[in-house]
Amino acid sequence: MFQNTKCECGHQNHVGTVLCEYCGKPLNDAEDANEPLEMRYDGVARKSQKANPSLIDKVWNFFSSVKIAVYLIITTLLGATLGTIFPQESTFINGDPSTYYEKTYGTIGKIYYTLGLSHTYTSWWFVTLLVMIGTSLVICSLDRVLPLYRALSKQQIRKHMRFLTRQKVVYQQEIALTGSAEEWVAQAVKPLRRRHYRVHTDGSALLAEKYRFSRWGPYINHIGLIIFLLAVLARGIPGWYMDQYIAFPEGEVKRIPDTNYYLKNEKFTVKYYKDSELPKEMQGENRLIAELYETNAVLYECVEQCDDPSKKPVLKEVTRHNIEVNKPLDYNGFMAYQTDYDPTLRLRSVKPEFRNKETGEVYGEFQLEMRDSALSYDVGPYHLELKEKYLDFGLNEEGQPVTKSQEPNAPAFLFLITGPDLAKEGELYFYFPLQIDKERFDQEALNAKLSGDFAKKFEIKVNGMKNVGLSTTSFLTIRVDSAMPFIWVGAAISMLGLVMGFYWNHRRIWLRFDGKQLTLGGHTNKNWYGMRSDVANLLKQMNIEVDAKSLDNGGENR
Amino acid sequence: MKSLLDFSGDAFLAAFFLYCLAFVFYVIAISGKMWKKSDPAAHLKRWKVISFTTSTLGTIAQITYFFTRWIGGGHIPTSNMYEFMSFLSMMIMVAFTIVYLIYRTAVLGVFAVPVAIIVMAYASVFPQEVQPLIPALNSIWLKIHVTTAATGEAFFAVGFAAGLMYLLRTVDFASKTKKAVRAQRWVEITLLSVLIIIGFIASVFTFRAMGYEAVFKQTIVTVDSQQQESSKIEEVKYKLPAIVAPYDSETVKFDSFLGMSKPLFEAPSWMNGANAGRKLNTVVWAVISGLILYGLLRLIVRKSLGAAIHPAMDGIDPEDLDEISYRAIAIGFPLFTLGALIFAMIWAQIAWSRFWGWDPKEVWALITWLFYSAYLHLRLSRGWQGTKSSWLAVIGFLVVMFTLVGVNLVIAGLHSYAGV
Repeated sequence: MFQNTKCECGHQNHVGTVLCEYCGKPLNDAEDANEPLEMRYDGVARKSQKANPSLIDKVWNFFSSVKIAVYLIITTLLGATLGTIFPQESTFINGDPSTYYEKTYGTIGKIYYTLGLSHTYTSWWFVTLLVMIGTSLVICSLDRVLPLYRALSKQQIRKHMRFLTRQKVVYQQEIALTGSAEEWVAQAVKPLRRRHYRVHTDGSALLAEKYRFSRWGPYINHIGLIIFLLAVLARGIPGWYMDQYIAFPEGEVKRIPDTNYYLKNEKFTVKYYKDSELPKEMQGENRLIAELYETNAVLYECVEQCDDPSKKPVLKEVTRHNIEVNKPLDYNGFMAYQTDYDPTLRLRSVKPEFRNKETGEVYGEFQLEMRDSALSYDVGPYHLELKEKYLDFGLNEEGQPVTKSQEPNAPAFLFLITGPDLAKEGELYFYFPLQIDKERFDQEALNAKLSGDFAKKFEIKVNGMKNVGLSTTSFLTIRVDSAMPFIWVGAAISMLGLVMGFYWNHRRIWLRFDGKQLTLGGHTNKNWYGMRSDVANLLKQMNIEVDAKSLDNGGENR
Repeated sequence: MKSLLDFSGDAFLAAFFLYCLAFVFYVIAISGKMWKKSDPAAHLKRWKVISFTTSTLGTIAQITYFFTRWIGGGHIPTSNMYEFMSFLSMMIMVAFTIVYLIYRTAVLGVFAVPVAIIVMAYASVFPQEVQPLIPALNSIWLKIHVTTAATGEAFFAVGFAAGLMYLLRTVDFASKTKKAVRAQRWVEITLLSVLIIIGFIASVFTFRAMGYEAVFKQTIVTVDSQQQESSKIEEVKYKLPAIVAPYDSETVKFDSFLGMSKPLFEAPSWMNGANAGRKLNTVVWAVISGLILYGLLRLIVRKSLGAAIHPAMDGIDPEDLDEISYRAIAIGFPLFTLGALIFAMIWAQIAWSRFWGWDPKEVWALITWLFYSAYLHLRLSRGWQGTKSSWLAVIGFLVVMFTLVGVNLVIAGLHSYAGV
């Protein structure tokens, strides 16, 4: 369809232009229309308003629509509510999700799980919605900001009469001029400048404008949001993101899987509120409410022999930090957070003695660590070699000793002992450091079976609690998230845009004289109340009393 | 330090009564024209000064409460529900004062001040003692996050008040057309919801004054990580007469009330969370007392509440109300974004190692934000000003209140320290 886009002022406009880019004359409306003008984007043609759109144009047009953007926002909002009905899978560490929901919530729970709502926020449709919002942010912004920038950077001072009379704020009156119209206009400059307007005059016409930058607020906000969303996606880049939850028993050095780092929990402390510090209704109930818990942590980096399991890695201390809730360890983006703790004491080490049961003679003591145990020990004239170690002792179906886990719940050690008066090939001896295990698994009977009389004469035994090392466990979250700086930059940019867009408004006042008749129009992108009061103030300074409210020309209050 | 906390409590009470007084004065200010005074303009001018002075004095008293409690308690009083809600009511008054200074309309006080009063009374339902902080809450970001978020929400509350006023002003209560009747009904439901909250507060205080108590023993069965079932017996204390008993419970103690000596129902089995039975009972009581209040008011005015308030709004320019509502939300939005999302993310990153974890409270903050973003985008479109936008302002504040209260009441999560 042919469309004449040439304005009567001679300016050739783009297809889709609502108001002539040069003089502001409304191009499409009937001559006698008088409702306030559609001033969005200053009436310029948006990029999406093309004749004969191609397929790409159609996609572009789809995402450039604010209506679509609002639909996307509303759909995302409704979708997000679904995920809060029941706890998400990610929030529980233990338990099997496939049975959890049905068991806990019945049929509704089963439906919830089957529909995939137990992981709403990582489901394909939710992620798709977020990606679509991101696309809409980019396209909506590009579609509008470039034409708007063009329109605002070359504004005409003397506007078409109908452009002025069809603004939302209008004043039109015969003025009893004492001098020329040009003088009147020149006088109006000062009070406008006092209200922070930038004023441009062209003979008997004037354009006053302030806070144009606020127009860029929404776009800057959108740029921030895009950076934010991209940063979230960037966590998918290998090496950018790591998240582990690790138990650190006190006194132990542990390797952080998939890294070159080792972390030692030197000391873990927890401080509880005293009963007297609790509110009255909580007192006397033996409540343990932690006031503070912290892990004195040392971070090591492996410098040599890191990947050779037969050799002991060479560690170099890189940093130490007392990790508290809200005070994580941070070593060049490698973070360790205090997440939880287990105050139950677990066996860390014992210092047993090797003695003769019949004579009571003690040959000596040795230090036995539950983890990283040494493989051989010299006790007096005797030599002990560690043949097997079971941290969580148990017997399998064939009656063979196995370890059920890698936690020192029921440690057991099998030694080969050589020395004076013993068989040349040595004697085997099972040792359970914990008394309860000693009885449960019947250490004596086991040893009698293994080495007969030997176990009647000799024993390994801990003498007193001072020779038992116990420790609590601290749970730390180990995290690397290289996207974080971008997340914060995105958030900051977005915030800057919001402040620019909401706490300032772009206001413009145009006026022109035709003989003695003054015609004034005012426009703002927000806050018409402020706009009217600016115009009323200007008129007052020019000795024209007018009620601010009466300047309103009707129309919508956007 | 005890005396300082006592003084703080006194300041809180003073603020409460000043707000109530201010509310009455704002009503007198705008209803002058109904008294057929010789000079309504002078009457309005005079009472505007009186009422604004009173509400400002109330705000100052509450700010005094806030800082004395901060000093006396040793940490910023925003860490439990009582402290947070009273802080929110204080910020609603601050937001109201700011918006009032821009627009100078007395009628805003008639609606915004009661919102603050209700939130403040709601705060008083919760235990008022200064409680020990758990380590996660011991962070500077707690102060920054909670205060900024509440400030944003306070502006949304003012937007809500102005939106509701717009509806009461513009809905045609005489008309019988389908559209008008629907609008009338929804305005009535909105007012009823407010009454239910008032009913809740009133019933809590009534039974607290009577010293009512009922105690139940409830067996709670939990399934642990090894799929082992374990049960423990918990005692549940009711402070409102138990219409609904906890699921699978036996009565230990039951003060009789109006001849009722045992619970009428038991909570359904799926309501098995901590205190779920008691929460359900509280909701039942809130609805009952709200309905009683509503019935009483209907008996007095003998027409729908909306129709009864409508004439008082005569002569107020609806476009001003629309503008105020929009402006308040526009002021609140960046603050809310900063406080409820960005600062919350910074704190979550430091305390919980991730800036975002899809915790129900986080999700609902995001939902609130998305809702107001939709509102702000729609405002730019044709036909979404006035009535439609006022409805959005009303619904938006419901979303805010659900995020603040409902999530704690219905969904537990990391923020459950602020339990109801």
